[in-house]
Amino acid sequence: MRQLCKGNVAVIKGAILAGCRAYYGYPITPASEIAESAALMLPQVGGTFLQAESEVAAINMVYGASAAGVRVMSGSSGPGLSLMQEGISYLAGAELPCVIVDVMRGGPGLGNIAPEQGDYFAMVKGGGHGNYRNIVVAPASVQEMAELTMLAFELADKYRNPAVVLCDGFVAQMVEAVELEDREAVAPDKPWAVKGTAATRKNLITSIYLESDELEAHQRHMEAKYARAQREEPRHELYQARDADVLLVGYGIVSRVLRSAVEKARQEGLRAGLFRPITLWPFPEKALVAAAARAKKVLVVELSNGQMLEDVRLALDGRVTVEFYSRVGGNVPTTEEVHARFATRAQAAA
Amino acid sequence: MAISPFVEIDATQKLDPFKGVKKIPLEEYFTSGHRTCQGCESALVMKMMVKAAGPRTIVLGSTGCMYVANTTYYSTSWVVPWMHTQLGSSGSAGLGAAAALKAQMRKGKMKKEPINVIAFCGDGGGADMGLGAISASLTHPDYNFLILLYDNESYANTDIQLSGSTPYGAHTTFSPPGKMKRIMHHRWKKNTAGMLAAGHPECKYVSTICMSYGLLGMNCIRKALAIGGPTFVHSLDPCPKGWDYDPYISHELGELAVTTGIWPLYEVENHTLRLLGKTREIADKRYVRQPVRDYLMKQGRFAHFTKDDIDYFQSKVDEMWQKWLIPGVIPMMKDLEGDAPPAE
Repeated sequence: MRQLCKGNVAVIKGAILAGCRAYYGYPITPASEIAESAALMLPQVGGTFLQAESEVAAINMVYGASAAGVRVMSGSSGPGLSLMQEGISYLAGAELPCVIVDVMRGGPGLGNIAPEQGDYFAMVKGGGHGNYRNIVVAPASVQEMAELTMLAFELADKYRNPAVVLCDGFVAQMVEAVELEDREAVAPDKPWAVKGTAATRKNLITSIYLESDELEAHQRHMEAKYARAQREEPRHELYQARDADVLLVGYGIVSRVLRSAVEKARQEGLRAGLFRPITLWPFPEKALVAAAARAKKVLVVELSNGQMLEDVRLALDGRVTVEFYSRVGGNVPTTEEVHARFATRAQAAA
Repeated sequence: MAISPFVEIDATQKLDPFKGVKKIPLEEYFTSGHRTCQGCESALVMKMMVKAAGPRTIVLGSTGCMYVANTTYYSTSWVVPWMHTQLGSSGSAGLGAAAALKAQMRKGKMKKEPINVIAFCGDGGGADMGLGAISASLTHPDYNFLILLYDNESYANTDIQLSGSTPYGAHTTFSPPGKMKRIMHHRWKKNTAGMLAAGHPECKYVSTICMSYGLLGMNCIRKALAIGGPTFVHSLDPCPKGWDYDPYISHELGELAVTTGIWPLYEVENHTLRLLGKTREIADKRYVRQPVRDYLMKQGRFAHFTKDDIDYFQSKVDEMWQKWLIPGVIPMMKDLEGDAPPAE
C-alpha cells in the first residue's frame, strides 16, 4: 500500500510487519514519534507499548521481552543511547536479539535536536563494554526506515544479537511516500527463550562466565558469529560508480545530497559516483574496494567529525587518496557545497 | 530528630518567611529572555524560587522545559549562576555542587559563606528518571541544598508524553484516547513528595507547593534553604500546552487543584507534618472541597472523560481524604478492626 509517511512512523509500520509486538521506550526529540506511533499502533495489533522511566529502564525491559522470545524494540536519540549502552552490552553478551533505533541528533552532551551522525562510533564500534558488535543498518529514506527496520529484526534473530537502525534526525523527521507490502513476517521459533513452559524450563539466559576459559570460549563463539555476519551481511548501494574518477562515500541523508552532487558533476562531464554503505557493521569493505578500484579520489562526507572515515580508510588501505568533508552541529551540506569540494580540483587536474 | 555528632552542617543563610506580599523584594533574578509559553506556571516558579532564595544562590537545572526555554539561543533569563545537568541527575549534581563548595570553603580556597544550592528538575527528570538520584542525595545530611521538582504532569519539552506524574486518564501523546479504549492512562499519579518525606530520615524538610499561592510557596522554599541539609520541594504547575486550556486560567487551575483536594499543600519540617493554606482549611472542615469536575473539565486533556470517569476520579480523591492514614500524604489505609491491640 502506497502512503505518505514520516520516517519515525515508518519505523513502527515496518516493525509491526516484521512481527514486533513489544515496544519499550522513553521520549526524546527527534525520536519521540517512534514511541508515539508505537503507543498508537501496537495495541491495535495486540502488541504492547510500555513507557519506561528512563532509557536505562527501557533497554532492560527490552532485555526481559527478548529473553521471553518476543520480537521487541526500543528507539531513542544520542543521549538515550548513551544510557542504554550497558544494557546493549548485556543483550549482546547474553545473545539476545532486539532492534534499537538511534535517531542521531547534534552532540555531545545535550547538543541540539538537529540531524547529525556523531553516534557512528558509539553504535558501529560498540559503545558499551566488552568484546561485542552491534549489527548496524543505515536508512537513507522513509521507505528504508520501514524496510531496514524489518531487516534489522531478521538479522537480530539470525545472529541472536542487538541490531541498530542508525539514522539521522533528517531521515527520521522527513515525510515521503512509502510502499509497504501488506504481508507480515513470521518470527522464528526461539527454543532458547525463557517462557516458563516445560520445554524452556532448562533454558538459562546469562552473560556471566566467571571461569576464564569459559568466557574465552563464549567470546570465540561470538567472534565466529560476527565473522559469519561479516561474510554474509554487508550491504551497499552504488550510483554511477562503475566508471567514476571521483567516488563519493556517505550514508543516511548525506547520501541523498551526494547523489545530487554526482548528477551535477555528470552534467558537467565529470565522472563522479556514489558508494552508500547500507550496513555500517558489517562494513561493506570488499564492495568499497571494488568500487574504488579505478577511482582517482574518494571523498567521504559525514555529519560527524571523521568517524566513518576511519572505516573507509581501513578498507581502502592507502590504495587511493581519501579526502574528507563534514558539516556538524545540525548543518547539512548542500549539493553545491559538496560539488565544490571535488569538482573544481578534479577539473583543474584534468 | 537528633542529628549524629559526626554530621557537620555548615551555616545556612538566614531566610525568614516573607510576612506578606509587600515585604517581597522587588529585585528579580530570573528576568526577561526566556521563551516559555504564555501562561507557563513553571516559569513563574523559577522566578519566585530564585527571588525567595536571593542573590547568593547557584541554580542547577536538569533537562526539561525550564532548561531549554530559559538557556538556549545565546541567551538566558538567569541572573544568578546557573548550570545544566543531565535529565536524571538533579539530585546527584546538586549534591556534588554542594559538597564541592563545602570542600573549597573548608580548604580556605573560597570565602566561607552560606551559598544556596538549588537543583531543579521536571516531573520526568525528578519523579521518573531521577528519582533514584534524588533519593540518594536526600540521605546525605552533611550538605546544604534544595531539590525543587516543577511538576507540569508530562514530558512537556518533548511534546507532552506521559510521565509518572501524569494524572489518571489524561490525554498525552503516549496515551491517546480512542474509540476502542477511552482511558489509555489508567495509573494514578505517583505520590513523590510523600514517598520522599516518608523514606528519608535525614531529610529535614519536604513540602508541596503551588505558585497560585505564591507567598506560601516562596516561604516554603526559604524554609527549605534555611533549615540545612538536603531538602525537597514539589511544585504543581499548570501547563497551558500540555493540559490544553486557555493560558488566561493558569492561575485559577492551580487554585482549583488545591481547592478540589487533588493537590494537597503540606510541609514536613523536622519530621513534623503540617497541612498548609486551603488544604489545612479542608482538613479542619472550614472549607468544603470543590468537585473535581470543576478542575478536570477546564482542561482539554480530560475532554474525553465521561460522567463515569469523573465519578471515578472524584471517588479516588474522596478516598484520599477519607481513608488515607494521613489524608493527601500517606496512601496507606488503617485497618481499624485489625488495629486492636493484641489480647493479653
